[in-house]
Amino acid sequence: MPVFVKFWGTRGSIPTPASWTRVYGGNTPCVEVRFPDAVFICDAGSGIRELGKDLLTRQPPPAELHLLITHTHWDHIQGFPFFAPVYLQTMPIHVYGQQPNDDTTYRLLSGQMSSSYFPVSFKDLGGSIVADHLLAGGMDIAGVRVRSFPLNHPGGCVGYSFEKDGRKVVYATDNELELQPGELFPDLDGTGPLRVLPEDLLHVAHNADMLIMDAQYDDKEYATRRKWGHSSCLSVTDLAIQANVRNLALFHHDPESTDRSIDEKVQSCRRRAQRHGARLTISAAREGVEFKF
Amino acid sequence: MPDFNTSGPIPTISGMHERRDRMERETHRHTLEQIEGEGFPREITLQPGVSVIGRAPEALIHLPSKRVSRQHALLRVRGTDCVIADNESDNGIYLNGVKIHSAVLRDGDVIGVGDSQFRYREG
Repeated sequence: MPVFVKFWGTRGSIPTPASWTRVYGGNTPCVEVRFPDAVFICDAGSGIRELGKDLLTRQPPPAELHLLITHTHWDHIQGFPFFAPVYLQTMPIHVYGQQPNDDTTYRLLSGQMSSSYFPVSFKDLGGSIVADHLLAGGMDIAGVRVRSFPLNHPGGCVGYSFEKDGRKVVYATDNELELQPGELFPDLDGTGPLRVLPEDLLHVAHNADMLIMDAQYDDKEYATRRKWGHSSCLSVTDLAIQANVRNLALFHHDPESTDRSIDEKVQSCRRRAQRHGARLTISAAREGVEFKF
Repeated sequence: MPDFNTSGPIPTISGMHERRDRMERETHRHTLEQIEGEGFPREITLQPGVSVIGRAPEALIHLPSKRVSRQHALLRVRGTDCVIADNESDNGIYLNGVKIHSAVLRDGDVIGVGDSQFRYREG
């Protein structure tokens, strides 16, 4: 059975509507991972608004939704009050924490709807919103194995992997792949050796049909933004090569990145993959584009 | 002095927006330029609604190649957007060289279907 991945928001930090973001989009993170019997929503950035409208038009409508938040920085939760299903009883939404009784995500989603910030309070939403949790970091949801794993970001962050019938999609945004001592940096022409990357992430991403990963910077940009919690696209490419990933989607585009500069990042990553003989398809995550695996 | 005693409805901001949006929808052109493959060169203007790319003779964009399914892909024009979607074809569709299932098209995109390539133009 196929899995579909659709990008509804790909921009990091802040919504960036502009003529120069028209191709890749200006909405903040929201990715739909859809299996025949389950709809997973990764993050509730501003892109979730259009997803909500689209869900209302589907026939048959999904019986329930599973919302997985990576962390509660604004760009990952700001769209939630504008997500149409939160006002409907007919489409229950499960919001997941990381362990039993962990209602942090639920609490912070609702906190942004206090009257100081938003006119409708959380308790007045008409929808059915359920605080749930992943057991020990993983559980089966509608036949899909869902796992969470820690990422390297100020304040903490988690990624998610989805597996069913040999298909695997990994979502890992807001993550910094740090450089190891002695590595060539900045590798401005991308000709250096593959970088050494965390074993746990290599394991999580191993053989993924699609890896969606924070690649906010190129090496030159990353040089002045270390410890900000985001990665160079070259390091991300190296991880995808070493993990034998089939499709890499560069994600969490910088608000200053133009469509053209994102295209340049994609080209430099493709050249690097080619140099290392990798059979890896690389693209930049783009609003409104859907993949099927 | 402006004449404030004119009869008829007073234009509202929302009414002006509706007219502007309608004009934009009506004047927004969606075009495919074939840049490679059998039938090149040609230009097809897409009308509102759904158009088919396929091997079937009745397809608006008819491609006789065996690598193309009968109703290979659908192009849906709605307002100012044009969406392409794979219609369960055997060989899939490509957006700027990457195999996809569906996409909202943007000016300059290159679509690959079988041996043919098209450049999308909007505006």
